[in-house]
Amino acid sequence: MFKQIKDLAGGEFYLITSLLIFMVFFLLVGLYLLKLNKNHINDMRQLPIADDQIPTPHEEI
Amino acid sequence: MQLEKFTYDNKIVRNFGLATIIWGIIGMTVGLLVAMQLFKPGMNMGNQYTTFGRIRPLHTNAVIFAFVGNAIFMGVYYSLQRLLKARMFSDVLSKIHFWGWQLVIVAAVITLPLGFTTSHEYAELEWPIDIAITLIWVVFGINMFGTIIKRRERHLYVAIWFYIATFVTIAVLHIVNSFELPISFLKSYYVYAGVQDALVQWWYGHNAVAFFLTTPYLGMMYYFLPKMANRPVYSYKLSILHFWSLIFIYIWAGPHHLLYTSLPGWAQSLGVAFSIMLIAPSWGGMINGLLTLRGAWDKVRDDVTLKFMVVALTAYGMATFEGPMLSLKQINGVAHFTDWIVAHVHVGALGWNGFLTFGVLYWLIPRLYRTELYSKKMASAHFWLGTLGILFYAVPMYWAGFTQGLMWKEFTAEGLLKYPNFLTTTLQIIPMHVLRAIGGALYLGGVILMAVNLAKTMLSAKLVANEPAEAMPLAKEIVDTDPADKKWHRVLERKPIKFMVFSMIIILIGGMVEMMPTFTIQSNVPTIASVKPYSALELQGRDIYIREGCVNCHSQTVRPFRSETERYGEYSKAGEFVYDHPFLWGSKRTGPDLHRVGGKYSNAWHFNHLLDPTSMSPGSIMPVYPWLISQKLDTTTTASKIRAMQTLGVPYREGFDQQANSDLKVQADSIAKDLNQNNIRVKSDREIIAVIAYLQRLGTDIKANKSTIPSNQ
Repeated sequence: MFKQIKDLAGGEFYLITSLLIFMVFFLLVGLYLLKLNKNHINDMRQLPIADDQIPTPHEEI
Repeated sequence: MQLEKFTYDNKIVRNFGLATIIWGIIGMTVGLLVAMQLFKPGMNMGNQYTTFGRIRPLHTNAVIFAFVGNAIFMGVYYSLQRLLKARMFSDVLSKIHFWGWQLVIVAAVITLPLGFTTSHEYAELEWPIDIAITLIWVVFGINMFGTIIKRRERHLYVAIWFYIATFVTIAVLHIVNSFELPISFLKSYYVYAGVQDALVQWWYGHNAVAFFLTTPYLGMMYYFLPKMANRPVYSYKLSILHFWSLIFIYIWAGPHHLLYTSLPGWAQSLGVAFSIMLIAPSWGGMINGLLTLRGAWDKVRDDVTLKFMVVALTAYGMATFEGPMLSLKQINGVAHFTDWIVAHVHVGALGWNGFLTFGVLYWLIPRLYRTELYSKKMASAHFWLGTLGILFYAVPMYWAGFTQGLMWKEFTAEGLLKYPNFLTTTLQIIPMHVLRAIGGALYLGGVILMAVNLAKTMLSAKLVANEPAEAMPLAKEIVDTDPADKKWHRVLERKPIKFMVFSMIIILIGGMVEMMPTFTIQSNVPTIASVKPYSALELQGRDIYIREGCVNCHSQTVRPFRSETERYGEYSKAGEFVYDHPFLWGSKRTGPDLHRVGGKYSNAWHFNHLLDPTSMSPGSIMPVYPWLISQKLDTTTTASKIRAMQTLGVPYREGFDQQANSDLKVQADSIAKDLNQNNIRVKSDREIIAVIAYLQRLGTDIKANKSTIPSNQ
């Protein structure tokens, strides 16, 4: 098990560093999301359906 | 502040929509033709311009860059204007973008059948067209960022992040993967060689899937699905997490296309690990899309656009689960080089890209014309034809992939290959290829139905070329009253250029960690003293091999499996490819691997096989190549080719360029003489002589002294 990421003839450094870089980045984005303002999120979610689309005749009826 | 009145440019959206439909039909028709060539070689038409090797890239380029490309621009130009409450930055740039992109596609349609190809998969177009693509992409970028800058909406919706990431990443990928040294107007050599070239190509190839076929479509999904369902996206937080994780992780996964090759082991493992991680953000997007429909599933029953979207998202989920599974070495060992990969690709292409495009077209065209769809019944028929088409395509291809992959590996009780003749495994799956073509025909039939339906819709009304709209302008000076507005992401959402730079840094990290060590650390590509540059004739032969697109059906990399070393010979070493500009490892084995074919057969065998493959391999589905015998080898290019190789570091001796053609003649004469002794009369100046010279050279450098060759570890 895990042979593919353990047995790399010295290449582990690249793999572990890469995973660490990602973990740090992921945690930063995660932290930001936890602190995100709810009103802002609601505003952003509404953006596509709030634009002034002209309806098709069918929708007007 | 007063409301500002302005108009949206619908004409450019319509034009890209029309181009999507037209190129879609053309690209898929060529696809159907190449599918039929695989069970009826006569469909190659005995013509060099319509053989599989030349028009298979035409199919892939047409569906990816023409069909999907135009669909992306259609979706971006429509949604960007509305999300930013602004007309496109410049109508002139919009037109240059539209016509420039169509010209690039026309150039591809002309050059690929003529055999002008770099041989890099999905980047086959030669250097002048590469430059044109770069210029048109810059025009698109200026137009997009110009629109963002003059916007009337302060924040950038998540769809626009995906568009920005698409723009910047495709630019980086295209430029890095197009470093070519031109030797004539339509011929060049990649500056990278062998393993490094392979790494760059699949970093590009994988991320072209990510940032051309995925991120812009996710952006379109985040805009059009809420519009169609008339409800906001399920989770905006998930969309943020999904976006950043996806663009970060995707870029690392390219090496999973090169498992068991001579690429350094750590790079392969990096590709596997990040591919598995990729499931999470991919499914995050799919789940976000499907859950947007919560409470609106009753609409799916009646609304054909939503039906298309649901199947598109499901196909996205299936393809993005399957991709990571295929990157596991154990599965990859069986599936790679087989039809399994073709099935995987088409679940994504036909299901995700195709169906999402159709959904958007059915939703968009009636709105651009302010009318109703001509026939909902026809659209519904299209949906079922397309769905059946995908099933008839994918299921037989999975079956064929499993079957052939396992047949290649099967041994008898005595320890011998059960199917030593490669052709046996090809012939076994012919019925599956027939079914696949039926699937393709059903899918194409659906698209033609859609084209008729949308044409009738367009003819029944007048285009609203300039759609009136109004919005408040943005304040010149923005005062952040809410402290949350000062947070980094909120700032990024308002600053498109900073956002682009940040996205670029994110995608560059993965690319650099992968590529820098392979390029800079000598030990990653062990050199082999007995590996010498190709002779002048072999080099010319190699270029004909590239021109004919042999790489589309034949790999040149023997993996370190007993089943492969028994069948082909010693497994391939990184050091064997150091003079290969470009690498020709391939990604599919419709025919056998050729890396150790040198010396395996006689010159006469190759001659007869190229003239009529069935004469040497009864039942072979390989096309015939009679023109190689009638066409004279162009030796006027030899000197410039040698000089180009010298520039790229291939150690030809000083002044060899001037002597190359006389060397070439000596080698060609000796092959012609050998053929003559076998009762084959052919002049030594014919192209076939060069191809035979190249094939006979393949893999022979290390045959003599195996024990002194360093392994790939």
